[in-house]
Amino acid sequence: MLKAVNITKTYNSGEKVALDNFSIEVPKGSIYGLMGPNGAGKTSFIRIINQITIPDSGEIYIDGEKLKPDHIKQIGYMPEERGLYKNMTIGDQLIYFGELKGMSRKEAMESAKYWFQQLEIDQWWKKKLTELSKGMAQKIQFVVTVLHRPKLLILDEPFSGFDPINANLIKDKIIQLKNEGTTIILSTHRMESIQEMCDYIAMIDHSHKVLDGNLFDIRERFKKNEFHIVLEEVNENLFQEFQQRHHLHDVVRKNGLTSFQAKNENNQHLLLEELMQIGKIRIFEERIPDMNEVFIHAVQKNTTSTEAIFTFH
Amino acid sequence: MKKVFLITKREYITQVKKKSFVLLTLLAPILILLFGAIIAYMFKANETHYNIAVADESGVFQKIPSTSDISYQYIDVADVESVKATLKDTEALDGLLVIPKLENQDFNRLEKESMLYTNKKVSFDSRQKIATAISSEVRKEKIKNLGLDENEISDLNKSFTLNTENIKNKTKGDGDFEFGVKSALAGILMYATFMFIVIYGVRVMRSVLEEKNNRVVEIIISSVKPFDLMLGKILGVTLVALTQFITWIIMIVAAAVFFNQSFLSSPETLSGAASSASQFGNIEQMFGMISHSLLSLNYLSIIFVFIFYFLLGYIFYSSIYAAIGSAVDNETETQQFTIFAILPLTLGLYGSFSIMNNPDGPLAFWLSIIPLTSPVAMIARIPFGVPTWELAVSMLLLVGSALLMIFIAGKVYRVGILIYGNKVTFKEVLKWIRSS
Repeated sequence: MLKAVNITKTYNSGEKVALDNFSIEVPKGSIYGLMGPNGAGKTSFIRIINQITIPDSGEIYIDGEKLKPDHIKQIGYMPEERGLYKNMTIGDQLIYFGELKGMSRKEAMESAKYWFQQLEIDQWWKKKLTELSKGMAQKIQFVVTVLHRPKLLILDEPFSGFDPINANLIKDKIIQLKNEGTTIILSTHRMESIQEMCDYIAMIDHSHKVLDGNLFDIRERFKKNEFHIVLEEVNENLFQEFQQRHHLHDVVRKNGLTSFQAKNENNQHLLLEELMQIGKIRIFEERIPDMNEVFIHAVQKNTTSTEAIFTFH
Repeated sequence: MKKVFLITKREYITQVKKKSFVLLTLLAPILILLFGAIIAYMFKANETHYNIAVADESGVFQKIPSTSDISYQYIDVADVESVKATLKDTEALDGLLVIPKLENQDFNRLEKESMLYTNKKVSFDSRQKIATAISSEVRKEKIKNLGLDENEISDLNKSFTLNTENIKNKTKGDGDFEFGVKSALAGILMYATFMFIVIYGVRVMRSVLEEKNNRVVEIIISSVKPFDLMLGKILGVTLVALTQFITWIIMIVAAAVFFNQSFLSSPETLSGAASSASQFGNIEQMFGMISHSLLSLNYLSIIFVFIFYFLLGYIFYSSIYAAIGSAVDNETETQQFTIFAILPLTLGLYGSFSIMNNPDGPLAFWLSIIPLTSPVAMIARIPFGVPTWELAVSMLLLVGSALLMIFIAGKVYRVGILIYGNKVTFKEVLKWIRSS
């Protein structure tokens, strides 16, 4: 749906490099995660898609077409810095923003009413922002973003400022939108969000793309064959032998439970059989690396070798 | 274009709905009148009535008439010393004027030896009034001594009015009165434009700052081009200002009509007016002459030119203000820039006084062509007539500059809104304009 080809953006006449030959492809109808530390270049990239800034070089394509002013109608943007007019009523603001994105007044009202129902905030139409709490304001912000039924949604840290219940509500709505065909780019630090929601990801560090591709594949690739195990009623002698045979990490004995991480080069079944001898198996799971680990790993690889750009297609 | 309209509409409605706007619009004319009345009252209240005793040995000044603020009381020359003694402590008397004997028509000596003794500070203009009263009596005596009469003297003082005719334009030159009317008109219009630009230009700046501060800016700028946004805001605030202005004019006209009608229709006021009839007659005559003079001017073109420069000068300067608002974070930081912004206009204002003196001179020409000063300078020039081609060039330049300025403001806005918390210098702003 969106294709970025060799985007380069610098500030201060080349002094500060925000993006360096950054290229990604966002498949239609997917949730695409954009990860990276602060200052890596995520926000610069997002601003380029929204035509707030222009890249020094490179192209962006939306559905095969080069990025042009008309495209803003199809894009919904929720910036990290939230903001709404303090002294306009909520209803008026929504209609205003909708019209700015090309809707007619009627369309904007219908869409706003629909979303108010969806988020259970019917009674806020005539209220002003100053009468709402922060969480409520965030909900309104979300509605502003999706009001004009955009084909591409760009959310920059969408969950910050939400309590867990509302964060969940928004998460559900995002997934609902994806199921209806919207493509979503999610820029965030929150690994849980990435892991729970994203189909594809791209990692960016110091203006470079470090990693991109299908999330599942990436995590599989970075597997280290480690297992997280928790045992009950452990036979001490057998456990000591087991400990010597295998390399164990983070052994914790508490409340009658023994938990540890084990590396296994061999067959899983063999490991299981061994464990069954030692005690009752409470938890046995393969550790799929979380994105933090993947990121650190990928960044290290990136800095030590010039050609280490992992791409999985 | 539709987006510009949306933004203009929002700006307009938001500002007009504000209570402060409604209050200011309705109350301002009343407040100004009240203020004027208070000042007038203060002046009047501060006027003191003086009682002056006059001991006139020369016998020349028996005829000085008492006025509303100075009463003259004539006493015997013999009583001078006793009156002087009581003068120190009394409240009933404020001063003693002693004029010695006139010898050999030596008025200079008379002047040197006359004295006004006071027991308090007598106000400056009262002293002047006394001195003037005396000097006019002296003058009459001197004239009498020369053997002339009053008419011959006023004939001597008659000023010579020079009639002029411009054979190139086939117009009659301005008499002094016409010149006065034109200058007054030019001054009023020019000043109104200047005040308007300064007061309302700042509103655009504040609107930009408000949006920056509540971070709405990033969503807006992802939906609208900076140029459209700037244009929309400026037009919106222009309409707000026009609304206020027109409301005031309507209020003033309505008040004038109301007072005029009630004044003319009530008989008591008419008879009351009869006592100051001579003064009133003069004022009426004056108004008549002024309106006649105004109407004989090319008032249609003056109105058109005024509105044009008023609006476009305002648009031009508000774009500058908008750019300033985009570059900084809060109002205190704007001041380092706004002072420079308003400088050209102020120069135009003061330069215009010279324009009124010489409307076709080189200063007048350049000030009314250059867009920075033309809004005020051309308005000052127009009552005196301006060649069509100069007007056309000036107008074109102003329109072009206004558009250019909005464009530049858009660029500054685009970069400025994304930068929070950095101190911005003028050099950096220039870089922004050149880049992107």
